Amino acid sequence: MASVTDDPAIIVARRYARGATVAAVVVAAGWHLGHDLPVTLTAWDAYRLPWLAAAAWLGHLLVGVAAAIALLRSERPLRGVWAYGAAALAVVVAMLAACPPDRVIGPANWGWGAVGWLAVILFWHRRHHLRELCLFLAADAAIVLAGMLAAGATDRVSLARYLMVLVGSLTLQIGGSVGGHALDTAARWAADASARRAETEAARRSSELVHEDRLRRYEAVRQAAADLLAEIAAGADPADERLRRDCAVGAARLRRLMAETDDEPGPLLRVLRAHVVDAERRRVLVTMEPPVGTVPDLPSGVAEALAEAPARALRAARSEARVTVYATPGEVIVSVVADAEDEEQDAGREDREAVPAARRDANGTNGDGDASWPGGGVVVTKEREGRSLWIQSSWPAR
Amino acid sequence: MDSEQLAGPVRLAVIEDHPVTVDGIRLWLSQDPGRRVELVASGPTIESVLAGPGADADVFLLDLELNGVMVVDRVADLCADGRRVIVFSGHRDPDTVLAVLDAGAAAFIAKHESADHCVETIVAVATDRPYVTPTMAHALIADARPQRPQLSEREHRALLLWFQSMSKASVARRMGISEATVRQYIDRARVKYAKIGRPAPSKAALLARAIEDGLIRPDEVRTYRSFAADPAEPPADSPS
Repeated sequence: MASVTDDPAIIVARRYARGATVAAVVVAAGWHLGHDLPVTLTAWDAYRLPWLAAAAWLGHLLVGVAAAIALLRSERPLRGVWAYGAAALAVVVAMLAACPPDRVIGPANWGWGAVGWLAVILFWHRRHHLRELCLFLAADAAIVLAGMLAAGATDRVSLARYLMVLVGSLTLQIGGSVGGHALDTAARWAADASARRAETEAARRSSELVHEDRLRRYEAVRQAAADLLAEIAAGADPADERLRRDCAVGAARLRRLMAETDDEPGPLLRVLRAHVVDAERRRVLVTMEPPVGTVPDLPSGVAEALAEAPARALRAARSEARVTVYATPGEVIVSVVADAEDEEQDAGREDREAVPAARRDANGTNGDGDASWPGGGVVVTKEREGRSLWIQSSWPAR
Repeated sequence: MDSEQLAGPVRLAVIEDHPVTVDGIRLWLSQDPGRRVELVASGPTIESVLAGPGADADVFLLDLELNGVMVVDRVADLCADGRRVIVFSGHRDPDTVLAVLDAGAAAFIAKHESADHCVETIVAVATDRPYVTPTMAHALIADARPQRPQLSEREHRALLLWFQSMSKASVARRMGISEATVRQYIDRARVKYAKIGRPAPSKAALLARAIEDGLIRPDEVRTYRSFAADPAEPPADSPS
């Protein structure tokens, strides 16, 4: 299943969300460079304290750069964001101080209109971003009103200008922030919806596989039973040794298939079952016990290494074999007991190169267990008792 | 049947709805050189067996599926009056095995292992001694319930090897100990299961006999601790 983050819809949604933040930064930067800078330069001579205006412009720029980097680089706002907010409000105060009393409310005082854009990007990722933005703008408006009172600019024209700029900038700044966040929310909804769709699709694919596997098992059960039943119904002699053996093998097969309740068996059980099916085809009566525990995800090659010696024992089994699997999160043990020929003789018949000397039991004919270490940290131990051969492969080696 | 040695043949009643299986059991009993077990009654339902001469049998062999109905919930009733019940069934998943042991069954034999273990299990159960078939070993090591008894590492290993191998002798060779000690580890693990779940006369008898035989100490009967409560290893067992 493809990762949810690879979903194209989510990538598009993320780009939309990023687009909104980039737009906010561009507006703030554009306003500061395209409006505040020319105004400061053209009104330079009119300022009471022109260098203070220049410092305010620079301070505004620094806060803006810090806020923009934080906004575009990470998902979280600046630490101590209200310190930056205070610095922005200091820009407003500085611009009030830099302007002569008659220009406090004129175009030369760009500060109080511009800092709203700083606040938009400063508070963007804050949880209560709208509330904090409004609080900031209210403080801004209050400072300017206080500045106007201090400068004596309380005439009707000044108040009308104040209100006009206030309403204009509030509308744009709050509107911009709300719109940007709405885009972000919509993008997240789209991403959520897309992730849910991907999950549903994955669940559907998985249940299809499960269904196919059940059909396959059912077919195997049917085959195991139907041919024998048909033979018996056609009058086969129940005393016939061959028929009885076939029935026993068929019954063992049915028991195994009915015990196979795992829908996704994993590589180890898959490999083992394939070898069990091969042995059943040779009319070996195989008892495969349901695994104890859940086989953990094994490092590459370990499942094959674990299955190798048991598979050899199954291939060597003459008429009977019993397969068991024991698993804990840190240990897997596969065991086969079979009435198998001795491995030494067996190797002459089987592919000899597949049985490297290091892995062969040097002492396989007596009862002493012997361990050897093939690759992948798998240990194979072997035990013989009369006609029975007991092969145990375990991982990790201990 | 309280004596150390069997006074006479164990009297067995079989509750099984397939006559062919009863015939099979009769064959196994006849193949036992000591003829230690005698089949005194058999019938297709629990009631039919209890109504006849099987009522006072020493051991009951119960098929878990009678006439298409699972009788797991009848095991506790059957055990309640002190009857020794061995369950034998093809339904050998660990949950079922643990459920019937919990209900008081003395042992569980899977149908495919009956020939090897049937008579031995019956004789052991008749004297209230533990007998663990590989299917029971499977269920005990697969037990993940919080109330499971705490087995020592060696008890667990003996059970695991017994489940996976062909004989206790091979387990003994693998563990480098005597066969008697292997049997002791396996039996101790089984007896620990008599301490959990609902009380039953069969469990009390198993525990009493285990104490009498020196398999466990009386104080161990009380000191049950769950894995969850204390993950520490119990003191190492001393092999005989």
